[in-house]
Amino acid sequence: MNEVTINIFNIVGNSLCIEADDGNIVYKNINNALSSGKQVIISFQNVQMLTSAFLNTAIGQLYRDFSEEEIKKNVKVVQLTPSDAILLKRVIDTAKLYYKDPQRLEQSIAKILEEN
Amino acid sequence: MNRDFTLCNISSDINGYQQLINLQNTILPLSFEEVPIKICTWFDANLAAPLGGILDYAESKGNTVRIDSLDESVKAILQKNGFLAHFGYPQISDTHLTTIKYLKLKPTDTRYFHLYILNDLLQRPELPALGSTLKRKIAESIYEIFVNAQIHSKTSFIYTCGQFYPQKNELIFTICDTGIGFKETIQNRFNKKVSAKQAILWAITDGHTTKVDISGGIGLAILKDFIVQNKGTFQIISNDGFYELSNGNEKYTSFSGDIHGSIVTMKINTNDTTQYDIPAETDIFDIF
Repeated sequence: MNEVTINIFNIVGNSLCIEADDGNIVYKNINNALSSGKQVIISFQNVQMLTSAFLNTAIGQLYRDFSEEEIKKNVKVVQLTPSDAILLKRVIDTAKLYYKDPQRLEQSIAKILEEN
Repeated sequence: MNRDFTLCNISSDINGYQQLINLQNTILPLSFEEVPIKICTWFDANLAAPLGGILDYAESKGNTVRIDSLDESVKAILQKNGFLAHFGYPQISDTHLTTIKYLKLKPTDTRYFHLYILNDLLQRPELPALGSTLKRKIAESIYEIFVNAQIHSKTSFIYTCGQFYPQKNELIFTICDTGIGFKETIQNRFNKKVSAKQAILWAITDGHTTKVDISGGIGLAILKDFIVQNKGTFQIISNDGFYELSNGNEKYTSFSGDIHGSIVTMKINTNDTTQYDIPAETDIFDIF
């Protein structure tokens, strides 16, 4: 079987995907499947509430461990509401920027010290 | 020594927060003493959240806190929202159904917090002015602030409280912690000395996070975007810093003295008819 479905509702244990720690458990599942060469389908069925903190750990940190091309090719999301898709897109764009240039945050501190 | 524990005309503005800071700093050196709190004229119900944090600190040092002088209308509202039940008063029911309860909870109590959001906000038919997408957007913002406090503040408790003002079409909600504050969180992470102003301005910028090796820093930026769209108000109080975004205008000022931890207050315009669930062009097949 080359395709694995990660059922977020079941992993978290309820419809509230709020906490970063819960996201981390989801991340481990996805990471494990991708590292084993599987295609991953992330299902948001029955998820009622998402936070950026949850998505940062569940999905954002994949960009640290896998290339954008690998993720694009092997990961799919399903049953995500339109407004949650906007949030996930924002999380992904932030993660791409962050892992591309980890020094950026250090520089942003220097900048705010200069300007204020 | 005569100490003043009076709070007078407390609104969610610079003067109100300054009085709370003054009260906290009066209490700070005390242990095993009487702390008789007097609240006169007005007290914004949502500010029961930071007051609860301050009075809990007083009690943790063995002081005896009494709230024994209260304006009658303030007393009624603080009894209805459950705050005074923590300080020796009986609870009374909220016949006008405009309060959003005072809640003190451990940062790990996420499920309990969700029940509170459901019962006190999302599933309340008596808040008809709020459309369902607006309610969801408010809840999403509150969760973002809650998890921020959970992750960064190192607090023992998180305090929340709100109030609905039907005549003003306003819902006001405060969430606060008694943890380490924005400044120390950033200093610890980057090993650089920053002022409260610099810390707050840095933290509200999209993509700025103190987490190590995990991207983030979107929560406050999401809240900012929502408040601009909603034409509401958003305030952060941390250390001696006060930041406010109101009607799209940003303001920053400093207090005399520091608050322990952080306070976030949202004033939501409930007359907002924006359909927050209308999607932008996000294609989930090309999201990565």
